Parts: sequence; C-alpha cells; structure tokens
Amino acid sequence: MKIGEIGIRVYVAALILLVYLPIVVMIVLSFNTSGRISFPMEGFTTKWYNGAPTGYEYGSYISAFYDWKFWIAFQNTVPVAVTAAILTMIIVTSVAMVLRHRIIGRDPFFYLMLLGFVLPGVALGLGNNILFRMMNWEFTWWTAAILDTVYAVPFGMILMMARFDPDLVLYERAASVLRASPWVVFRKVTFPLIRWEVVAAGIFGFVLAWGELIRTSFVMRGTGVISTYISTELAINPVTPKWYAVGTIVTGISIVALVILGYILSRGQR
Amino acid sequence: MILKVLESRDLTKWYGKEVLALNKVSFAVDEGDFFVMIGPSGCGKSTLLKVIAGLLDYEAGQLFIKGTEVKQIPPHKRDISMMLENYALFPHMSVYDNIAFGLKMLAKDRAETEKQVKGSLKLVGMEGFERRSPLELSGGQRQRVALARAIVVNPAVLLLDEPLSHVDYRLQRKLMEELKLLHKRLGTTFILTTHVQEHGLSLAETLMVMNTGVIEQLGKPDAIYSRPATVFAARFVGDINLFSGEVLGKRNGRYAVKTELGELQASADEGQDYSGRKLAYGVRPEAVVLGKEALQCENHIQAKLVSTYYFGNSVECLFEAPGGISLRVNVPPEAAVLLTGGESVAGWRAHDAILIEKPSVIEGLNIEEVIYGK
Amino acid sequence: MTAQPSLSPTKTRPTFRLGRHSGYLLLIPGLVLSVIFLVLPLAIMVVVSFYSTAALSTGYLPIFTVENYVAFFTSPQTPVLLVNTFTLAFLATIICFIFGFPLAYFLTFHIKSPAFKNYVITLLIVPFLIDWSIRTVAWIAILGKGGIVNFSLMSLGLIKEPLEALLFSRNTLYIIWLQTYVVFMEFPIYLAMNRIDPDLISAAKVLKAPPLRVVYDIIFKLSLPGIMAGFIFVFVCTLGDFITPNLWAGGVQTLGLSISRYANNFLWPYASVLSTMLLIIALSIMFIAFKVVNIKKLFYE
Repeated sequence: MKIGEIGIRVYVAALILLVYLPIVVMIVLSFNTSGRISFPMEGFTTKWYNGAPTGYEYGSYISAFYDWKFWIAFQNTVPVAVTAAILTMIIVTSVAMVLRHRIIGRDPFFYLMLLGFVLPGVALGLGNNILFRMMNWEFTWWTAAILDTVYAVPFGMILMMARFDPDLVLYERAASVLRASPWVVFRKVTFPLIRWEVVAAGIFGFVLAWGELIRTSFVMRGTGVISTYISTELAINPVTPKWYAVGTIVTGISIVALVILGYILSRGQR
Repeated sequence: MILKVLESRDLTKWYGKEVLALNKVSFAVDEGDFFVMIGPSGCGKSTLLKVIAGLLDYEAGQLFIKGTEVKQIPPHKRDISMMLENYALFPHMSVYDNIAFGLKMLAKDRAETEKQVKGSLKLVGMEGFERRSPLELSGGQRQRVALARAIVVNPAVLLLDEPLSHVDYRLQRKLMEELKLLHKRLGTTFILTTHVQEHGLSLAETLMVMNTGVIEQLGKPDAIYSRPATVFAARFVGDINLFSGEVLGKRNGRYAVKTELGELQASADEGQDYSGRKLAYGVRPEAVVLGKEALQCENHIQAKLVSTYYFGNSVECLFEAPGGISLRVNVPPEAAVLLTGGESVAGWRAHDAILIEKPSVIEGLNIEEVIYGK
Repeated sequence: MTAQPSLSPTKTRPTFRLGRHSGYLLLIPGLVLSVIFLVLPLAIMVVVSFYSTAALSTGYLPIFTVENYVAFFTSPQTPVLLVNTFTLAFLATIICFIFGFPLAYFLTFHIKSPAFKNYVITLLIVPFLIDWSIRTVAWIAILGKGGIVNFSLMSLGLIKEPLEALLFSRNTLYIIWLQTYVVFMEFPIYLAMNRIDPDLISAAKVLKAPPLRVVYDIIFKLSLPGIMAGFIFVFVCTLGDFITPNLWAGGVQTLGLSISRYANNFLWPYASVLSTMLLIIALSIMFIAFKVVNIKKLFYE
C-alpha cells in the first residue's frame, strides 16, 4: 500500500480509538475489584453488577442490580424511550412522505423540522420549562418523551430521506392510476417499501431518548430517568466502579439497539 | 517509420477472482491513427480503455504509451486524455472552468489558458458558452464541452468511451463527421469504443473487434468486412448469411462446398487447399441478386419470399430456401418491385462467397454453435 | 363480463395527487409537535425576556420592560461570556472538521462494501450516547492521577509523577468534545461525499489532476453542503453544551452556564434574555450558512 493509504488508515484508527476510549475504559473498569478509579486493575470481579449487599453499603457501594433507585430509574426510562420511539416513527414517516413532493412551504417546513436538533438545547430546555410552568402542565414521562422526540425527529428525517428509493413516487403513481385510494397506496405500496427505514427511525428515537440528559433535566421531576438518576447520585456519592457497571448496562442496551439498527439499514437497498 | 504510440503485450485484467476482463490482449496503435474498438457489451472494450487511461489497473502483461511502460504511472501523468461516456462535466464549475481545468492542473498561465479554452470551444462550435453552467446545457452541448475539455490538454492519445451512445440517430451521423474532421485537424491519435458496428466501420482507420476479453480481429475496416478472420467477426461486423459446410474438393480455382443449401461454389486462392475441411460458408446479403441475374451466377437456389423490410434506399428481403433455411437478401428497391411473393431465384457469384475456418479466437467453440447461435 | 371503467369525473375515486387535501394532512403531526414544543416555548421565552426581574416564579407581573436587555448589554460580564462561548464552539468545530473530514473520506472511498459502511456509521454513534455523567467519570479514569494516560507514561518511564494538568484544561475540553461530536461532523460529510458521481473523479484524474487536487477541487468542493451541515451541527451542539466546559475547562464562563444558573435561581427573565441572545446569534449564523451553501441538496433534489 502507498504511504497515503497507510497514513489515512492509521489516522482513522486512532480517531475511532479515541471515540471509543471512554466506553472501553468504562466497560473494563466496571470489573475492577478496587473501589477506587485507577489503573492498573487490581482484579476481576462482577461484584459491581450483582454482588449481594451485606447490609452496610450505601450509595456508590451497592451493586447495580441491588440498587432499587437504579431499577426505578430504569423503569422510568423505558416508557419514555419507547414512547419517544413510537412518536418519532409516526412523525418522521409523515414528514418524509410529505417532503418528497413539491408543495408550498416545503423548504420552511423542512427547516422547521430540522430545528429540533439544530437549536441549542439550553434554549429549548429553558423555553419548555417556562412553558410548562405557565400552563401548569405537569412534568411527566410523557413530556420527556415528547421533548426527546423533538430532538430525534431531525435525525430520523435525515435518515429516511437519505435512504428513500427515488422510484418510490413512481410506484405510488402507478398504484393510484390503477384507482387505489391514498390510504391503500400507502398500505400496500409505500409502507412495505419503507418499513425498515421507519423501524430504523424508531430505534433512533429510542436510543436518543435513552441517553438524554440536558433536555430532560429541565423537564423531569422525581427520581427521573436514568440520566438524571446518575447525575444526582454522583453529585452526592463518590465514584466507584459501580457507576461504570451502571453505565455499561445502559450503554449496552444502546449498543444492542444500534447493532440492530445497523443490521436493518444494511439490509436495505444500495 | 510510423511510431506505435500505444502498445499492449499480453495485457490481462481480472475483476475480483472470477471475471477475466482482458485475456492476454496484445495490439499496437499507430501514431495519428483513428483506432476504433468494437464488440458486444461486456467484451472488455471499455475496460481496456480505462486501463489505458490508468483508471483501472492490470494484473499481468505490459502496456506502453509512447514507449514507456505505464503500470506505475498514474492517470494524471500519462499523456492521454479521455471523454467519458456520461461526459462527467463538473457541475460546480462553469463551462469555461470545466475546460480550463486540465490546463489549471498543468499550471498554465491565465492568458495562455484563455487562448486555449477559446480555441477549444471554437473547434467544437460552442463559442459564447463560457459562462454557462453545465446543468443548463442540452445533452449534445454537454458532449461538445466534454470533448473540448478533453482535447484542450493536447494529449498524445485521445480516448473516447462510447461517444455515440446517448445521441439521437440523426445527430449520430453529424457527430461522426465532426469527429473525423476534428481528427484530421488535430492529428492526435483517437481511440474510440462503440458497440454499434456500423459506427465502427464508418469511423475507423483501424478497427479492432473484441469478444469477451480477446481480440477477434484487427485491421482495416474494409479488410475485416470482406475477409473476416472468424465467424464471430463476420457476424458482428455487417450482416451475413452463414451456413456450415464441408469442402468437397478444389477444382479450377474453386471449391465445391457441401452445405444445407446443397453444393455451393466459392473462390479459392492460389496455394491454399481447404479440401476436406469443415468450415463456415458465408455470403453478405448485398451480394445476392434475384431473378434472371441470379441464374447467371455460379450459385443459385430456389427460395420463397417471406417478408420484406423497406429502408428507403434498399430493401431487405427474407427468403426461405428448401429445408427451412433463411436467406437474407439486400437489393435496390427497383429489384424488389419485381418480386411477386412466390418462388424466386436467388443467386451469388462464387467470388462473393466468404469461407471462414475459425469460429472464434476463443478456444473450444464449436463452429456450428457460433454460426447458429447458442 | 368486464367492468367498464368509469369515465365520469364525478365518479372516479380520488387519486394520490398532492394538490388535493390528503397530502397536506401529512404535515399535521410534524407541525403540531414543532409548534407546541418548539416554536411556542421559544416564543414565550422571548416574551419573558421582556418581563421585569421583579416578577417572581409564582406570579409573573407582565410588565414589559427592556431593563434586562439593558443589563445584558452593559454588564462587563457579557463580552467575556460571548467571546468564551463562541470561541470554544468555533474551535471545537474546526477540530471536529480536521478529524471528521478524513473519517468521512475514508468511509466513502476506502470501504467498498455498503453493508459494512452502514455498520460502521451506526457504531460510530454509540460513543455519542454515553450518558454525560458516565462520560465524565470515564474521562477521569483516563486523564486523572490514577488514569490510563498517567499510568502508561509512568510505566514507559517518561514521567516520574502523575500529571495533574491533564485533567482540567481547555485542551481536555476539546478532546472530549471531539470524542463526543466528531460523528456529527462526519455523517453529513459522508452523505454528501457518497453522492458524488465517481465519474467526476475519473474525469479529474485523466485531466491531469494529481490526487491531492482531486480531493480539493472535486471532493471537497462537492461535499461543501455536507461540510456546512456538519459545521452547523457541531457548532450548535457545542454552543449549547455548558456542562462540559464547566467541568473540564476550569470553570470557564459560558452563556449556557449562565442561563442554567439564572434559571435555577428562578430568575427567568434574565435567563430568557441570555437564551434569546444565544438563539439569535445561532440562528443568524445558520441563516448565513444556509445561504452560502445549499444544504437541501443533501436531502432532496
């Protein structure tokens, strides 16, 4: 291989290493026997995951499985993420379907949809916080889910539109010329052809909601979702590998979801 | 002495591990020639062109451009230029910048560049289009710009990949004339590919017929047309009636050949004797005459008219000879008028018969298979 | 007996033409979501920025005043705030570009299998998803006194004492931001690069362009919409991310930090002022960027 080729491979490998470094560290250290965060690892253990408590531990020293606060947070996050996923799927599909055609207001609408991601999260968080207070709306998991959806929609939209088969419109027209009503066209022609992209958008919504902090911290109360649980606990407890265990579990779920996503996307055309 | 501006020796190229695109291809191109490569889709002509350009690499063999082996030389250092099949004009540049691109890469100064670009535009008849965007142009205009862009860098060899493919029928003739004129004016060596053999015949000073990675025949167009070396070449270049035959004997400078149409005559050369061999017997449709004239030829048969195709300046008639054998005959419209639709006599002279020994350059092919198609 | 197709216009069933109402219905879900949870909050926030500070969180006295804006523009803090915030974001964006562009290039041109490309793209997103707190803790394990970097340096004999300075400096911030956001730079660039007609590259090569010029004149220029999108994404993300610089860059004051501070102290009007200014500047930059480069090309024709 020529120098240029070797150079770029080294460069990219180094970058990917950097990007994955925290994850690798997190996973590795979650098995450390020592309670402190340091290298080298003293020993290998799974006690931070499922070590049975002897009754004296608190906070950072209770293993992940036995920490009821963790499970509550976990239970709180799941409906949020799932709802976000479903909402994302619905909205992204409708948006992507519409944006293919040349209608009035197409460009402004596109930019509007993009705003959810492109605007500083602080502004959106603050704005929504004020809005909820004024309207006396409750901060529930629904609201968190909706905000996560606002954030995820641009991603899903870009994803879908990047992968749309340009012939799709032709198939739809062919069907409608054969006297199919719009709903039938969608059910029998469009949806079967785009269903994997829709699922992918849903997974995206799920994954983004799963790992959110800044936005949700503005609109959640109570024990909150996983991310708020982690940050509140860490504010008062020392850092131990237990948190790495928690992080590994949480990220692990995201990774699994993303691998599924990758698989779905690679099945598609192109 | 005419220099070989391009020479290939046993050039071999694989796609992956299974597809052999070029199989020990060896040929040479004279300087200043108009060299045309024809062949069916997938025969390797585009691949060969890209290998010459340097866009594709080859695994074995040698390729020389102006005497230098080019395996290690990247495209931008070879003395070639290319017009791609879909033109590939740079959408983010104006027509002027597109054409000036090559000159910019060669670090020519502004004044020089401007002169050359304008000259190039004039050659292709696109003056005044400098400021336009390629996206605004029609297909024909884009092609001219692509051509101008390729010739402005003054290459030793100009490669053209299927330049006639996306052009209307009427415009094809015009384009061919312009290409010929351009070739005369520039004196550059042109290497062109096309899958339409008529274009090849009209344009080429030297013609090369390709077939799945090998060269079937290379030579002057009229030579290939009148004396095809293989059955494949005979069928690909021009239309031909072919029958499998066995040479019974040679007498008075003629061969007697046994075919499905009966015993036919063909001219024999001095010092050559095909007696006893199996080969293909062919006759071009335009060599066949009808009616009284036919009776005066050494070869004539009874045949029934099946259908006619009117081309304006000629008529192609499809006859059926005894035994259900098809015969295609091309005659001037006046002769066709005399046909009554019943039985006719079709005939041709012995010296118009074409005898071909080899089915194809590719080994292991059965001559009958190649004649009648698989 | 075959059914006769109905030729009368009144009897045909509606066809899927977007000129009629059915198409516009599809806009509704997206519009509802955006208007209520995006446009409305921001509008209210802007309005609140004009409220007087005296308004408490439990009862807004809707007195319209620009006193908070005056305070903002006259405060000595403000220039520092703005410079800090935008410098950090801008540098982070440039750094992400330096690393993200080759990554996108590699992904587009050096990986042949489309299936593999998809996997790599999705897996690159994973690091973005780590919860911020975990990411923080993980970086401590990398850069801290007992962390990997110090450990390796010491065992290699390069240093005797663990380095403290690694942990909290602006450089750390950039490294962390790079790790977090480089994907957002890489992905749009990848999208744009992928659309480049490979024949254009071939044409450039035969027109005497050496490899580096091909990269610049053709690939770079044609992927500008993607580059611009990547710039905007990373820039905006780093503008709004106040937590990271607060922790890692030694307490540098950013706009976002101030906003959250004022919000936590229930000083909504002033927080809204800061937020509105942030919004205006971000939107202006984006507006200019969109004019310069047509981003829509990335997504639809």
